[in-house]
Amino acid sequence: MSAFACVVVPYFLAAAVERVEPGLRERPLIVVTGTAPATRVVEVNAPARVLGVHPPMTEAEARARCPELTSRTCADEVAAAACHALLDAALAVSPRIEDAGPGVVHVDASGLEKLIGDATAVGRRLVREARAVGFTVTVGLAESRAAARVAARLGRAVTVIDAGREREMLAGASVALLELDAETAATLARWGVRTLGELAALPRDGLVARLGATGLRLHDLACGLDREPFHAYTPPPFYQEAQGVDWEIDTLDALAAMLTPVLERLCARLAAGHLAADVLDVDLRLVSGEHHQRRVPLAHPLGDARAMWTLVRLDLEAHPPTAAVVGVAVTAQPVRVVAGQGGLWQPTMPAIRDLATVLTRLAALVGPASVGAPQLVDSHRPDAVTLTRFDPGAVAGARGRSTARALTGDVNGDTLALRRLRPPRAIEVEWSDEAPFAVRWNGARYRVMTSAGPWRLSGDWWDVDGWARDEWDVALSDGTLCRIALDLRTGQWFLDGVYD
Amino acid sequence: MGVRTLGRAGEITEIAGRLSSGRTSLLIGALRRATRGGAAAALVDADDAFDAAGAGRAGVDLARLLWVRCGRRRDLALRAADLLARCPGFAVVAVDFGELAPCLSLAAAFRLRLAVRRSQVALVVLSSRRIAGAGAALAVETVQTGVDWTGPARAATRLARLRARVSVVRARSAPPSAPLDMEWWCEVSDGRGA
Repeated sequence: MSAFACVVVPYFLAAAVERVEPGLRERPLIVVTGTAPATRVVEVNAPARVLGVHPPMTEAEARARCPELTSRTCADEVAAAACHALLDAALAVSPRIEDAGPGVVHVDASGLEKLIGDATAVGRRLVREARAVGFTVTVGLAESRAAARVAARLGRAVTVIDAGREREMLAGASVALLELDAETAATLARWGVRTLGELAALPRDGLVARLGATGLRLHDLACGLDREPFHAYTPPPFYQEAQGVDWEIDTLDALAAMLTPVLERLCARLAAGHLAADVLDVDLRLVSGEHHQRRVPLAHPLGDARAMWTLVRLDLEAHPPTAAVVGVAVTAQPVRVVAGQGGLWQPTMPAIRDLATVLTRLAALVGPASVGAPQLVDSHRPDAVTLTRFDPGAVAGARGRSTARALTGDVNGDTLALRRLRPPRAIEVEWSDEAPFAVRWNGARYRVMTSAGPWRLSGDWWDVDGWARDEWDVALSDGTLCRIALDLRTGQWFLDGVYD
Repeated sequence: MGVRTLGRAGEITEIAGRLSSGRTSLLIGALRRATRGGAAAALVDADDAFDAAGAGRAGVDLARLLWVRCGRRRDLALRAADLLARCPGFAVVAVDFGELAPCLSLAAAFRLRLAVRRSQVALVVLSSRRIAGAGAALAVETVQTGVDWTGPARAATRLARLRARVSVVRARSAPPSAPLDMEWWCEVSDGRGA
């Protein structure tokens, strides 16, 4: 089994642009830099290379050779997102990877044969994961990173170099695969060194004497030897995708056309890491130069682009940008979702996507503080209740069958319910013979037919918000059964609730 | 279809009655059955009148209950009910309109009925009068028949129970059954001691 794999994205900058605009894959594309008319080509895709276009020619020269060229500039955030996407894809295969520059990732493949299979299977898995995040890659597998890197540049989708045969198998490869600078390439060409085999056959001491440290490094690479330590990559605590446009977007429908692919790319990266997004930070770059930033908390961890767009749209409808949009960046805070399976006899729960959307719509309707699962506060104070996040799936997972059985145990099934008045309504009470005689509210007087009480309750007397009250249950002359309370601190009577 | 099994999947059930007639206790019973069976339920609370502590003591699994507090806004309650009725997966969606029942057009009621039929949600509507009309598959009316107190007749010491008669006033799939006498016991809360 090979120890290392190297994943290479050919013509990386062009691939980063094609990832954002998939429609450009089949067309000749050049990535340019600089300002017109002095723009220069920095990268071209495969169809453009067939037509004889290559860096670093000027855009004018490239267009002279191929008038139907499409040119794009590659924004830094697009290239950075592409780099991270490739690393995320590699992380889906192995937890130990190395960022070896734009479009190149080294993967520690040792031990993967037990999980995935032989070297070819590992290579195919890497190709598949990279394709899921929008890249067509070539993969080389060998005992050393240097040999794997050269193997990946041979052009085949997966190239496996047998252990101990690196020098023999790579002998015919061109020295151009070592990414030489122009001066060194010219020197080797002058010496008549065309292949790695010829370079490896040169005396090591002689190369050091003539080329210095560069010669030493080239000889190591030609022999497939690693001299540098492996720098393991640590993924950042967030995922970001960005995209800009050359025109102004001033409607939500048009914004959807731009934002949906961004969210789809983000979800593909999250899926590669078996993650879901908990919070989305949406940064809209406005034509005025300002940024419209919104934080969209997802009611439930999501990995679905459509549901995310629904939630982002709801937020943007409530808080629209002040000017037209010319760029967007979305950052997701990832969380690991524990997969669970409901029991065969358990009732169905709302789907995560539906529930997240409904909770967000309800929060927009009545306010986020008014939606959730009630949670009792550990206090004797009447009506001590708060709202927490509603997540019935987590409850089902947390509670085992024993708890479910306990829940169906001894509970008084026919308990009289109380309808609370929030806030309690101030009333007047007529007193007679140490019991309420009549109650007045809203200008009406109700005779108390029967009463039971007082129930004296108090708490928090050691704190500033201490409370003390006497509660009475009273049946009024119109048949209403009420709970009234006397605040012992203020002497005010309140209608606390109605039994119903 | 009976009074004791209020809330059939895919249909609208109405509970109407005046205050202290046991209608809220009937609704809490439907929520208790749904949540204790492991399903999710929702309560759209137009009057913000839900007593969570009492419901918890009555057996409602509060972690499986979505409470939507509408702050006395009937229009918000209607829209929230419409949203929840279209979300499959909730066993029961209860809408408590309290004393001020909103006007619901027949078209709106039938639209709501189609929504719950598609999502297979049991929609239970509580108010002082019937509002869903022919859109409801079952409508019951509660009338208080008595209140029992413990202790001597002239010097009660504790509220014991509420008795009520529950009559089926509309049942689409079966002929109206005979009124059912029900009773709900007043539970002993934490602060009052046993």
